[in-house]
Amino acid sequence: MAFTSFYFLIFALATVCVYYAIPIKWRWLVLLTASYAFYLISSPKTFVFVLFTTVITFFGGKKIGEYNTSYNDYMAIHKKEMSRDERKEAKAANQKKKRKIVALILILNFGILAVLKYFRYYLQAMGLFDTGTLLIPLGISFYTFQSAAYIIDLYRNKMDADTNIAKFALFTSFFSQIIQGPIPRHNQLAPQLYEGHKFDYHNLSFGAQLILWGFFKKLIIADRVAIPCSQIFDNYTDYSGLTAFMGFVFYTIQIYADFSGGIDIARGVSKCMGIDLSLNFCRPYFSDSLSEFWRRWHMSLSFWCRDYIFYPVAMSKFFGRVGTNLRKTLGNHVGQLFPIIIAQYATFITIGIWHGAEFKYIAYGLYNGTIIVMGLLLEPLFVKWLEKLHINRKSRGWKLFGIVRTFVVVSFGRAFPKAASFSVAISMIASVFRGGNGTPFAENMLNLGITEIDYLILLVGCVIWFVISLCEEKHMLKNGGDGTEGFRERLENRPLVLRWLILLAGFAMVLALGVYGPGYDASAFIYRGF
Amino acid sequence: MKETVLDILTEIREDIDFENETKLVDDRLLSSLDIVTIVSKFNDEFDIEISVEDLEPENFNTVDAMVELITKAQE
Repeated sequence: MAFTSFYFLIFALATVCVYYAIPIKWRWLVLLTASYAFYLISSPKTFVFVLFTTVITFFGGKKIGEYNTSYNDYMAIHKKEMSRDERKEAKAANQKKKRKIVALILILNFGILAVLKYFRYYLQAMGLFDTGTLLIPLGISFYTFQSAAYIIDLYRNKMDADTNIAKFALFTSFFSQIIQGPIPRHNQLAPQLYEGHKFDYHNLSFGAQLILWGFFKKLIIADRVAIPCSQIFDNYTDYSGLTAFMGFVFYTIQIYADFSGGIDIARGVSKCMGIDLSLNFCRPYFSDSLSEFWRRWHMSLSFWCRDYIFYPVAMSKFFGRVGTNLRKTLGNHVGQLFPIIIAQYATFITIGIWHGAEFKYIAYGLYNGTIIVMGLLLEPLFVKWLEKLHINRKSRGWKLFGIVRTFVVVSFGRAFPKAASFSVAISMIASVFRGGNGTPFAENMLNLGITEIDYLILLVGCVIWFVISLCEEKHMLKNGGDGTEGFRERLENRPLVLRWLILLAGFAMVLALGVYGPGYDASAFIYRGF
Repeated sequence: MKETVLDILTEIREDIDFENETKLVDDRLLSSLDIVTIVSKFNDEFDIEISVEDLEPENFNTVDAMVELITKAQE
């Protein structure tokens, strides 16, 4: 059941109605029933995998929670009379007990993910395992990563374990976020799911606005720009120079509109029931460096990698020692950065693999990781150059240059996940520098499957999106936070009639200008495939 | 201790007003790279061991929170 299908809208509307119709105490049961119904309708044959992950993660977490409770109780009584070394010893002993359970659950959950998503073709080809009849469970990457975060946070003694398996089943399967995220943290999402929320007009109104905005981005922008984008990527040998580069730019727009549109619909549906899903995008194309881009793009995955890969690797004693030894041969700067460089690569390779097993995805991670690492290594040199050239890094001009540079770097990088293979991506990137194919650029643009009117609609759609984003960005720079209040506040300060006119205009635009042609596949959200 | 902490922070990110900012992590003023560098300097300077479990936003949002984290690690 796709988010943009008529059935999903009816399903979501019915869920919201039933949610508010029954007593607050039982509202979480409506969400659980809806989530399991959604999964059984969408992917009935793979339901058993979600159940398995839920059960082993719940009972493993419960055991770890028991160890934590007895450790915390013991420390509450004896901590004051213990020396620093004794406290360290007690902590280490508790960690050791938990480690086996954590390892077992992570191996089982990631093992299923690896077999079903990554190694199925290799195992089949080698005749070791018949994976031909197995489907990839819906949202497997999302629920596996969120379950791993739950178990690791318990291992780190950061929270209490869940005590109700039915409620935990809701956490691992919540229908609004299981398809394409965001990847939630237990302490952020679970309490909101378990406690019932009172009906609130503002939640309903804001939720509906978010859903409308998601549809706007998905149907007017993403599905329209997808047509010329696919034309260029599918026939890459026909295009070069600026036209080939426009293929990357089109995909850069498409993936953002598609993915963030889907997230907005997910957040909107949840918001209607008073549940706040975490923000997954913070206007990433306003970033003035690639590392900032990754703090604003697919934030729930970036933060997951930061907390469970980057920090442990960057702070590991082993890599710290290797870095110290390297200082003698490679200098202080490189030696000091060594653990961070390894952590960056580990993070970006994980991000690459998260998208799929093919080498083009690993190359995507390596491309991003290498640019960030080079930036770190060459930082002292950049500083010297900028001083010599009298360039002020805080100036508006430099900031704007950084934004454009980052957009171009990101656009080239998009070639890897979008192209059919790694070699195709390299060939397309090379073709950009080969120059045009002799046909005027404008003529090429008009032969990519969409008309001048479509380009005009795309332009208007992107300008509206840009203006809203600019309002939010300015609000963030002035007041901190994520800036999402920026446009909403402006809208709320307008007279009621004008507000409704703007919303109705948005609704009419989605109905009239959304891409609903015969070739349109309502289920084709890009990130649903991950 | 607070002055030493401020010196370390300013050495790493001279562009941030550490005394007045109250959401250094929540407002994304400090990146994960900054955090790792700060922790490494704290560990060396105060002879402590801040672990991965301590890398929570609330421990790094303000200078006072960082001082509290160091004090706890010294106990």
